[in-house]
Amino acid sequence: MAKYHPDLDLITEYAAGSLPLAQAACLSAHLNYCEQCRRTAGQLEDLGATLFDSLQGETVGDVQLNAVLARLDDVPPLSYAKVEQPLAGQTPALLQRLMKGEFADLVWKKITSTLSISYLSTGDPGYEFALYHIKAGGKIPEHTHKGSEMTLILEGGFSDADGTYHQGDFLYREPSDVHAPTALQSEDCICLAVLDAPLKFTGWKHRWMNPFLSLNAG
Amino acid sequence: MSEHTETPKNDWQTPTGRRTDEWSECLTLISQKEDRAAFTRLFRHFAPLIKAFALSGSNLSATVADELVQETMLKVWQKSGAFNPEKAAASTWVYTIARNCRTDMFRRLNKFDTPLAGDDVYPDQEAEEPFSQLQSRRSREHVREMMQELPPDQAQILAKVYMEGKSHAEAAGELDLPLGTVKSRVRLALQKLQIHMENYSYG
Ligand SMILES: [Zn+2]
Repeated sequence: MAKYHPDLDLITEYAAGSLPLAQAACLSAHLNYCEQCRRTAGQLEDLGATLFDSLQGETVGDVQLNAVLARLDDVPPLSYAKVEQPLAGQTPALLQRLMKGEFADLVWKKITSTLSISYLSTGDPGYEFALYHIKAGGKIPEHTHKGSEMTLILEGGFSDADGTYHQGDFLYREPSDVHAPTALQSEDCICLAVLDAPLKFTGWKHRWMNPFLSLNAG
Repeated sequence: MSEHTETPKNDWQTPTGRRTDEWSECLTLISQKEDRAAFTRLFRHFAPLIKAFALSGSNLSATVADELVQETMLKVWQKSGAFNPEKAAASTWVYTIARNCRTDMFRRLNKFDTPLAGDDVYPDQEAEEPFSQLQSRRSREHVREMMQELPPDQAQILAKVYMEGKSHAEAAGELDLPLGTVKSRVRLALQKLQIHMENYSYG
């Protein structure tokens, strides 16, 4: 059960449909692990529906109705068999679709001896959407960012100065927060990170890499 | 019902969480019998709302708005089997379809090519326990009642965020307000509507 969640602002933007696609996908993946946020999102959708219901309706003519009626045969109602709910702890369906396979099948780009990154494509031109693989006990060099960073833990866990995070936990970092996450000793950590500006390593040992870390958006 | 003498204020009739209002019935008739008369009733009610939703705060033409009406209503027809009156109110269900179709349409108009459709990002809600069904029903009623009493500045922000699909930052820009003010108005409104999260740590 997740312990760290998106705040109400983010869930509101998600429910209203105004969150950028890459961020919405990350938040949606958190809902996969978190019943509490699912319920909150549901309430916020009910609120949206209440506003929707009270709109001043615009005239729609019979021409429109007839056009739709004429197309109904092309799209018969789908049958929805009772689908088994995915087991808690399984990789969210949305990520499985973007990955087209297992974690092991992805192309991993080695950044340091303990950190590899695999970029997934959401088509969102403003955001990088990537999986980070940190070896057990490994460290992501201390870094900051010019933009925001959303992180969701998919496997294993890591800790930084502010806490320890496990599967399903969701983190949101504002520009210029500095942190240096370290994976738990017991197992490798895989997390999803959504960025709108490249990482910037702050330690002298890794600063030379900064020019190579351009944003892989899209 | 026997122990209640007063008329219920809302359209919920039984304590089991079964929703028996007209629009839920229409959706059930569509999924079970492909009932076109029921679909027509649903269309006459929701199509004008969808069109208003399409036109609010965007520069979509009336033609594109009509397209959104058609697309949304076709999806409603097609997906009616996924509607579960025990899980969702009919209007919420239709609203979420319209929201997803609108997002997809914006992306298409902007030639934004993505492997994800709106439906992928908003998975169908899982079945809830009867207890939380009761809770969400109560919260929905509360939201409807309290909405009337929100101060205009808070109601205006909610409308911008939801009906116009603006992010908090965009809403701040258009209303010429600091982002912090927009966020706190949204929060105050949600507080009054009793939408909050308990025992929370923000990551
Ligand atoms: Zn959560």
